[in-house]
Amino acid sequence: MSNPLADMDKPDVIFCIGTNMTECHPVAATRLKRALTRGAKMIVADPRRIGLADISDVYLPIRVGSDVSLLLAMAHVIARDGLLDDSFMEEHTTEGEGFLEHVARFTPEWASGICGVPAEDIEAAALLYGGADRAAIYYTVGITEHICGVDNVQSLCNLALMTGNLGREGTGVNPMRGQNNIQGAGDAGALPNNYPGFQSVTVPAHQEKFARAYGRPVDLEEGMTKVTALDLAGDRIRAMIIDGENTVVSDPDRQHCEHALKSLDCLVVIDIFMSETAEMADVVFPATAWAETDGVCTNTERRVQRLRAAVPPPGEARPDWWILSRLGERMGWEGFGFQSAREVFNELCSLSPIYAGLDWDRIARSEYQWPVPEPGHPGTPRLHEDGFINGRGIFKMLTYRDPEETVNEDYPIWLTTGRRLPAYHTRTQTGRSEGLDYLLSEERLEVHPDDIAGLGLQNGGWAELSSPRGCVHVKVRATTRSPRGTVFASFAFNDVPVNVLTGGGYDPVTQTAALKACPVALKPVAPPPALGQTGLGGALGRTAPP
Amino acid sequence: MGRNGTALTLTLDGERVAFRRGETIFEVAERHGKEIPTLCYDPRLEPFGGCRLCVVELEGARNPVASCTTKAEPGMVVRTRTASIEVQRRVLMEMVASENRDTDVDPLHGYASQEMATLLDRYDARTGRFDGALSGESRFDDDNPFIKRDYDNCISCYRCVRVCAEQEGDYAISIMNRGFDTKITTEFGGFLNDSACTFCGQCIQTCPTGALGDLKALANRDVPGETETTRTICPYCGVGCSVDVMTRGDQIVGVLPAMDGPANEGALCVKGQFAFDFVHHRERLSTPFVRDLESGKLRPASWDEALDRAATDLRRVVGKHGRESVYAVASGRAPHEAAYMLQRFIRAGLGTNHIDNCSRA
Amino acid sequence: MFGPPPRIALDFSHPKPRDGMPTPTNADLVARWKDEPAPLLPLLHALHERDGHLSEDALRDVSRQLRIPIADLFGIVTFYHHFSRDAGGAERPRVCTGPVCAMRGADVLVASLRAAGHDPQAMPCPGRCDQPVPVIQGDTVLTGRTAATLTSGPSPLPAPPPDGIEECVFAGIRTPGRATLDGYRSQGGYEALTRAVGEMTPDEVIGVVDRSGLAGRGGAGFPTGRKWRAVAEAPGEPRTIVCNADEGEPGCFKDRVLMDHDPHGLVEGMALAAYATGAVRGFIYLRYEYPETFDVLEGAIAEAVAAGLMGDGILGTGFSFDLMVRRGAGAYICGEETSLLNSLEGKHPFPRNRPPFPVTHGYDNLPTVVNNVETLASVPPILARGADWYQGLGRGGHAGTKVISLSGDIARPGNYEVPIGLPLRELLDDWAGGPLPGRCFQAVTMAGLSGGFLGARDLSVTLDEPSIRAKESFLGAGGIMVFDDSRNMIAVTRESMEFFAEESCGKCFPCRIGTQRLVERLDGKGPRDLDAWVDEVTDLSEVMKKTSACGLGQAAPLLTESLLRYFPDQVREFVAVRGPQQKG
Repeated sequence: MSNPLADMDKPDVIFCIGTNMTECHPVAATRLKRALTRGAKMIVADPRRIGLADISDVYLPIRVGSDVSLLLAMAHVIARDGLLDDSFMEEHTTEGEGFLEHVARFTPEWASGICGVPAEDIEAAALLYGGADRAAIYYTVGITEHICGVDNVQSLCNLALMTGNLGREGTGVNPMRGQNNIQGAGDAGALPNNYPGFQSVTVPAHQEKFARAYGRPVDLEEGMTKVTALDLAGDRIRAMIIDGENTVVSDPDRQHCEHALKSLDCLVVIDIFMSETAEMADVVFPATAWAETDGVCTNTERRVQRLRAAVPPPGEARPDWWILSRLGERMGWEGFGFQSAREVFNELCSLSPIYAGLDWDRIARSEYQWPVPEPGHPGTPRLHEDGFINGRGIFKMLTYRDPEETVNEDYPIWLTTGRRLPAYHTRTQTGRSEGLDYLLSEERLEVHPDDIAGLGLQNGGWAELSSPRGCVHVKVRATTRSPRGTVFASFAFNDVPVNVLTGGGYDPVTQTAALKACPVALKPVAPPPALGQTGLGGALGRTAPP
Repeated sequence: MGRNGTALTLTLDGERVAFRRGETIFEVAERHGKEIPTLCYDPRLEPFGGCRLCVVELEGARNPVASCTTKAEPGMVVRTRTASIEVQRRVLMEMVASENRDTDVDPLHGYASQEMATLLDRYDARTGRFDGALSGESRFDDDNPFIKRDYDNCISCYRCVRVCAEQEGDYAISIMNRGFDTKITTEFGGFLNDSACTFCGQCIQTCPTGALGDLKALANRDVPGETETTRTICPYCGVGCSVDVMTRGDQIVGVLPAMDGPANEGALCVKGQFAFDFVHHRERLSTPFVRDLESGKLRPASWDEALDRAATDLRRVVGKHGRESVYAVASGRAPHEAAYMLQRFIRAGLGTNHIDNCSRA
Repeated sequence: MFGPPPRIALDFSHPKPRDGMPTPTNADLVARWKDEPAPLLPLLHALHERDGHLSEDALRDVSRQLRIPIADLFGIVTFYHHFSRDAGGAERPRVCTGPVCAMRGADVLVASLRAAGHDPQAMPCPGRCDQPVPVIQGDTVLTGRTAATLTSGPSPLPAPPPDGIEECVFAGIRTPGRATLDGYRSQGGYEALTRAVGEMTPDEVIGVVDRSGLAGRGGAGFPTGRKWRAVAEAPGEPRTIVCNADEGEPGCFKDRVLMDHDPHGLVEGMALAAYATGAVRGFIYLRYEYPETFDVLEGAIAEAVAAGLMGDGILGTGFSFDLMVRRGAGAYICGEETSLLNSLEGKHPFPRNRPPFPVTHGYDNLPTVVNNVETLASVPPILARGADWYQGLGRGGHAGTKVISLSGDIARPGNYEVPIGLPLRELLDDWAGGPLPGRCFQAVTMAGLSGGFLGARDLSVTLDEPSIRAKESFLGAGGIMVFDDSRNMIAVTRESMEFFAEESCGKCFPCRIGTQRLVERLDGKGPRDLDAWVDEVTDLSEVMKKTSACGLGQAAPLLTESLLRYFPDQVREFVAVRGPQQKG
């Protein structure tokens, strides 16, 4: 996030797009609700009538994958009506003139034809956002998990740049991170293009610095992304170490994933449960879990916080860093003799400019948001307050692209996927915590009542959902939260593996999968046999170790 | 400071003290170490003025004033603990005690659950005085597994209703009827699960009497040992809520939201509040496993064997296919040290950049 | 004038057939009210009237359209006495069991209704202590002694004052046709408004009101001119005039007579208040129990609008003022001004914390005048005849007049506009004919019920606040209920305390718990030992008086305190003779 969580109750206008925040980031959403109570206005763009839509002032039910058209048209209206922050554009941006020319042809009427939202609602949203003194954008993977994920983000940045909604309280372009330390994984260098602290691997100075620290040079060439690695498994990639990820359930195109992992010569998995992925491994290392592990994590607002062990782990489970240190030693490598999480974290701080002012003790009270360039620095709750570090914000000339797969005669319905409040990810944790089943015991495909009738389905009955990559059977729930022609399912339940269906395309830059837009076919099927005996919700139990 | 730069002051128990514009008498007094009793006060909520325990004497006012709702003004003369105020507080506590079934409450009920009991002790309230009808009507028929709704112990401070509205923004519960018949209710008096409730647990944590209780924590009330707390961060989404994990011995017995957590300021959601016991799940891995070369199945192994096996396999792959043939995927749910060590393993060990994390899925 | 009141039998058919009109849907009614100011109460009333109750389905539609969380809306609806949530609930007759009606045959009426096959419910005082016993059914209020003799009609007119006594608000009320615009104008009505908007600055209007000594006649007694000036000077627009016509105090029925027979007096008073303070909108918040009055007010406002006396560009000037009537739904606490504002805004009707006061943070958190009916009705005569004239109406240095609602054991119950400072004895004996034959006064209440009792030995007070406050009571809204020597004062106190317990809003602890515990003790529960009983009652009363958040909880214990002060023998006997200790 460019701005801190504390800013979330301060905007005059809130623009939420591709974020089901009340379910996926409930505590952050409470701040938005407080802003609304205070009188802020909210625009919500989402194909589904999510909880935020109910409390919004302008709701834009866009077709899945059509975000760029909407955002171009909003920019058009803002430019047309002169709602620009001229001095901000002058001082802090480049390519502004070209951008204003570029958006002149993308009218709300044009966008309406693509995203399906009435032109007057696009106007209303643009006027609201453009007219606010403090407007903030919040988004989640509803923006990024498309073939045009980067375009979507850059379209949002364009809006913020043209209206000067960056670098001030209650503004910003704010992605909400979905996992407790997904930000930290990047901070710590688990990226193919960056060393720790987002230092590019292709910069020779960085290579030199890490060569000194690690005792050997690292290639100047970027590594491959996970998506590519899975594609090349059994070919150029022959061994994988997977830490704490249930790849075969959470990643797109499950069959492809399973095939990829099977074709490896060696798969090492570190996890706390025998996940579907772990079951395919050659070696499984038992890790300590949350509340058993001392360590550090970074939240969505770049706040670096300590994790503390409260109880001992079961049996011989060990912290991930310990496992990898010992494995490094067994590999016969120098410099893997770490004996504590503190030691590991302090080495990270010493190599990462954004953490240079931090160490294990200094973060004990969760005070710092990176960058913290030197000891004594107060941290940086709000990015870009003094302009952009790299100079100027650059407007990007974008155009709308259709998703790689679009609805057609064979697959006439859009499937979009996501999460639900009581389930986290693939339920490895929430599914094993007492009581959560009370709130959510099975997956149900959300279908508009008109589609239920039109397709001969029944509320509570079963449907077969198929895409070019496979099919799944799922119970159906009638709800007007889904628009006509679009259905929704979460990927929480192993017995409804919707990621069997997804996988039709990746963003060309980030290789993020288009999990949010997948054309499918839908037809009624008979309920599965012997339902009564085994019950549903059964991702659990089956994964018990032998 | 006042508009002209002079400090604003009032007299608090005979002492001149400074205050900031907008502060309430309660806030000024608390800052100066006065222990003013309250039951309806939660610093995160709008002052309500219901319990009246925080009344103080204000010179010039006919009656004592509620310090939580009265803004400090220059020149006020305030007395927080006169004999008559203390008597009134004691009688009020005796009245409060008279409407409840229990005044002795297990702390596992929630963060604020000891507030009433503590004040009963502090004022040496004579329980049994003002005997009469009990207020509230417990909803033990509500079968939700998280929130105990024991309204026989409710004192109608409405902190639950206010926290649900003001903090959580869910407006799932409200106030029904009037006077002594007042009840905490959902829409049309139904179960929480049929209401707008998201089971965030905020109502539990602000309840000062244990009328609302954390059923998951209370299920552990027989676990031996003193309850200790450890500050850490919630394991779920990226908001990074601070929590205090409650333990007895080697067992987690519950979770308390950290009121001073910078990301959450006391808030949590259903996952952070209640989904903690996966840690002790019987399916947790407690030993390494290796794939048996003969049976082709995973079997438990010692660390020594498992590390050797992994190192041998990896070395063989590197030897055969080169260092570029090994790939690593880090977790977005493990700490920095895990991600850092994994990238170090790849970079320092193999000299490639073949590392990614699970953010692309 | 009104003819003899028609005799009406209880009509239980529902829904009432409308002449050829299709029944409006939820959506119709929501659309009718959604964009009006203060829409919740009128919308709920419309649905309630249509269905005879508020159905879940209707409430869910209201919740969605008005964006009021459904749990909150449900809670709000349960707060009011007269909103029924069960089918047919609105048609169930509700009978007053207030202190006066209880001793004037409420039980007989209940029994006769039951015998006639009805299911009568008790209700708190609906403001007809001068016409016992009232019963509400549907939207109709009837009064009488048995099911067969129930009648309906407007408030009885006040008896003329003794010779030589000048009145203010009642001066023209007995003139036939006074309730019509023509009748009102024929006596000089709206001349004050015409002169004010034509010749006076708003500040001059406030000046006259200020100098007249007019103070709040709803009971609080705050100087009206000062209140208006505070609103005129407060930042924030639009400003609002709210008339508190939620006359809920048992034993008070003075505002009803003013509105029934002289509605234009109130309308003109509100217009003057608006002109003086720069307000552009006004609400009359009328208690539910006065349905006929609602029609009278709506009619008067329509007449005024048609005549250019209300609405846009009043009397051809740039002054505009819109006036609306909103009905309560049965909640005594809504007579407390901040509860009233919450109720008007569609919120849970708890009193607000003060400060800030309504003059700066009133309706919609904007500057607002909240005045009682009598206060506002006093303004046109004051403007017409001058501040000195009004000042001079009082006695003993007190300014103006006060309407007293007199009921109970007295020869001629009714409303009397008395000079402030009049000896109470003079009112009771000379104006109202003294006690009933063969009886003598035992006690009277003050301020309806809120002032507790004055025992016979203290009936020498004069009717002004300083004199009455010296007796640990207060004049308040001016309701006086008389109890003669045939009455059991413990029973009277119990009934009265029950009222406060029933009407306590539930916000603050001392009132919510205290009223309940006092009722229980007056019911014979609590300690058996006299000293311990008195000790508990005294402690409860003292804490309620000192720490309650609003007037209800502060006033209710005046009943028990005055009971202990005047009637220690009845208390001793009561505690001694009751049975073995009963647990609550």
